[in-house]
Amino acid sequence: MAILRHELPGSASVVLRIDHFYWRWFGTAVGFGTFGLFGLLIGLTFFPLLWLAPLGAQRRHALGRRLVQGCFRTFVGLLHQLGVLSYDFRDVQRLGRPGQLILANHPSLMDVVFLIGFTPAAGCVVKSALWRNPFTAGVVRAAGYVRNAPTDAMIEGAAAALDAGQALIMFPEGTRSTPGAPLQFHRGAAAVALRAARFLTPVMIRVEPLTLTKHEPWFRIPPRRPHFALQVGEDLPLGDFQDGRPAPQASRALNDAMLAHYRQCLTQRAGAAGTAAPV
Amino acid sequence: MPSREDILAHVRDVLHELFQVDPARVTPETHLYNDLEIDSIDAVDLIDRIRRYTGKKVSGEDFRSVRTIGDLLNVIERLLAK
Repeated sequence: MAILRHELPGSASVVLRIDHFYWRWFGTAVGFGTFGLFGLLIGLTFFPLLWLAPLGAQRRHALGRRLVQGCFRTFVGLLHQLGVLSYDFRDVQRLGRPGQLILANHPSLMDVVFLIGFTPAAGCVVKSALWRNPFTAGVVRAAGYVRNAPTDAMIEGAAAALDAGQALIMFPEGTRSTPGAPLQFHRGAAAVALRAARFLTPVMIRVEPLTLTKHEPWFRIPPRRPHFALQVGEDLPLGDFQDGRPAPQASRALNDAMLAHYRQCLTQRAGAAGTAAPV
Repeated sequence: MPSREDILAHVRDVLHELFQVDPARVTPETHLYNDLEIDSIDAVDLIDRIRRYTGKKVSGEDFRSVRTIGDLLNVIERLLAK
């Protein structure tokens, strides 16, 4: 891949550290530090209060989702102001329709922050480990997010969220992408889409240079300032797959179509940017 | 109450319809995932059909320990007996 490496083991190559490298490192530390502290603080104050508020679960969760949205939006703004990243979120107004299932590829830790931050009161399918992490347990519970396991409960929970009119975010890769490996989708998102989505909207995310990938710590910042390009696509034609064929066949066909669409779009966009394709 | 053979016949029909599994491959020893490649996402659709067949309140919980067709038949028998 045509991505500059921060470290080239055993190599004499010089990797340029540009765009105020050390300031960006400092800004990253400040940004994530503030975010962590603030998260812990409201996790200990506002979310428990919300829990005690005399509201039905649905209104409480909706308030929780709006609060998380505000925090994530602020966090993106902070990182942008600090010069840690730049971004471009195209056709974002297409996000947030009731019953809309929002799909996205998942190159970086920031993807979920962007999507939740810019989609009004969105729900999200989140890995179930976050229900046991003391830093995140309060938030995911207060927002009424959907746990990704066990599978049957995830599919039912996601379908219920869509039926209740939420816009719901899912990452069909299941976890952050492995850099350089071919894109793969689990069929869970396709199964949820066929059961309950009114709209199926893909978002293409490209990060250049790549940063905050799986297993990459926040302090290993890229040599250049990373740019996050998010493009909301046209809705995918769900109805084409709801033609009476048995559900497992429909979800396989939809999943194949989703994957082909992503591979094509990401390859084109990578070509347009003059870099190697990520797939 | 249908016999175990009746239930097996129904399971064969359902697996054929949903996953195009050859009924001859479906015996009580057949492993759902290893032999038929039916994973946890497929299982949700399968459970929908069993819910319809038994007419009982069925949850994913009931199927957590199912690995083989034999296990599946046991669960269906138990549901029908409720």
